Amino acid sequence: MTALSVLKKGATYGGKLMAKQRRFAYASLVPILIYMGVFSLFPILWAFVLGFFSYTPIREGSWFLGLGGQNPFVGLDNYIELFFGNGKPAEVFRIAMGNTFLFTAMVVPLNLAITLPLSVILESINDKVKTVFRAIYFLPTISSSIALVIIWSYMYAPGWGLLSQIFKLVGLVPPKSWLQDPNALYMGIPLAMICVVVAHVWQDFGYNLVIFVAALQSIPKTLREAARIDGANAFQEFWYVIVPLLSRTILLASVLTMISSLQVFVIFQLLTRGGPKNQTQTMLLSIYENAFRFANNLGLSAAMSMILFIIILVLTVVQFRLLRTEWEY
Amino acid sequence: MSQQKRKPIFWLLGKSGAYAVLILGLVATLLPFFYIMVSSLKTEAELRKTPPDFFPAAPTLKHYEAILTDTRIPLARNLANSVFVSLSRVVITLFTSSFAGFIFAKYHFKGKNLAFGLILVQIMIPFQVVMIPNYLLVVKLGMIDSLLALIIPAMVDAYGIFMMKQFIEAMPTELMDAARIDGSSEFGIYWRIILPQLGPPLASLGIFTFMGTWNDYLWPLIVLTSPENRTIPLLLVWFQTQHVSNQGLVLAASILTLLPIFLVYIFLQRWIVDQATQSAFK
Repeated sequence: MTALSVLKKGATYGGKLMAKQRRFAYASLVPILIYMGVFSLFPILWAFVLGFFSYTPIREGSWFLGLGGQNPFVGLDNYIELFFGNGKPAEVFRIAMGNTFLFTAMVVPLNLAITLPLSVILESINDKVKTVFRAIYFLPTISSSIALVIIWSYMYAPGWGLLSQIFKLVGLVPPKSWLQDPNALYMGIPLAMICVVVAHVWQDFGYNLVIFVAALQSIPKTLREAARIDGANAFQEFWYVIVPLLSRTILLASVLTMISSLQVFVIFQLLTRGGPKNQTQTMLLSIYENAFRFANNLGLSAAMSMILFIIILVLTVVQFRLLRTEWEY
Repeated sequence: MSQQKRKPIFWLLGKSGAYAVLILGLVATLLPFFYIMVSSLKTEAELRKTPPDFFPAAPTLKHYEAILTDTRIPLARNLANSVFVSLSRVVITLFTSSFAGFIFAKYHFKGKNLAFGLILVQIMIPFQVVMIPNYLLVVKLGMIDSLLALIIPAMVDAYGIFMMKQFIEAMPTELMDAARIDGSSEFGIYWRIILPQLGPPLASLGIFTFMGTWNDYLWPLIVLTSPENRTIPLLLVWFQTQHVSNQGLVLAASILTLLPIFLVYIFLQRWIVDQATQSAFK
């Protein structure tokens, strides 16, 4: 008789065994859950609570997280300040919110416009060559983002930088300054922001590319062949067959790209430092600078991070729903 | 190749057209790396020349030499910090993820769904949101400017638990029962039966944890202050601010930072790309 059948019968021996297993499960899981409580759940609640206080660590507060006392409860004041107030951090944060959305709104379509057609072409070539190309396209995503920022600061160097040289080579006039001229606008978008978008998409496109290549491989060949037999040309096949079949993957990739775009930090902090004139200031950079560089009211920074959290949370819920939908061709 | 079998995209571009697009993408991807690598071999005078030459007239490794022999740069110490933190986090994360994943996959107990729900919630919480309270917590625990601040708050990875649970659920329970009859302890089942079967997912989680930790910048920037405690990304940023006027050194330092990961990538590229693709859908 195996232990399994004993367990199924619920015999006394099996009951003891079950109790022993339950004890083991609890004993193992409780420390892990306590740990997660301390380092994940508790901080998220702390951030939420902090958003309703005016708080600086050096001020004397109550025994409870240093809140109260000289760190008073201010209700929704931090949020009201962020959306309607005249304080410098609030003003910068409102600009930062706009910039973060602008950045995301530029990154997602540009990324898709590059990765979708490229993945179709990549999928159509010989397997061995495909692996090599795929590996190289993926190279920037595994690289140190600090080193990449240094690389791009040299690409964008005014005058002698490689991009200026390429512009001159093809007969275009390069901008005097790529990253520092607040008056350089193209279709109302600051040049510095465009430069950051280009550098970021360059660094990040490999992810969506390999995702699309994998998705394309899972499309039944018969569907694409049928379209061809019906006389569809390559563009029609791409637009009317491939794109609709990939719609779930495209949607998922877009949401993932949005979520990651909202959390970009290194390139904004090191390539443009939020400048010129806050034109590339983002929400995360504001949170960091207020909390850790200027050491302002941490309650205000916490409120900023809760606003960012809610935006990301909504997108994450969308992502989870997309992952859960079953899909059939 | 017959007309029927021709790949559709070739109808529009032709085979050479398709390759032309791919190679253009390749050049765009590699040119920035190549440009910096070539420039790092130039002398200071050549770097300042206008209009600049793309290739150095007489390539020199002196910038690399200068970095590797400069005793004022705590390179060895910072490298050791990065290795220590990354490896610790990999080992700890692999253990906690597989062990908790095992409990969730193979045991039945009250409150299991609630506990697992809490873990799923963690996956949805971005680091930026808990950054401020985690900093305050680290201050309270006295771990500011210590490498422990990079390890202790990151010992359990919710995504890792989720991933391991999925793999372990697919494993047959018969072997576990057989081991129980043979008198194995519950932990022994995890250690001797489950863990040896987890090679591929452990490798995948391990490499991404390693690369994530190795390249991590924001959290170390917040909690580390002394030069000797820096990790490699912080060292590179500091080095850049120190040598604004000495471009060759900064370029060489960037290449030195990129190189180790590239070398690993050359051997593991196929597998890394496959793993990255799969993890996007889980």
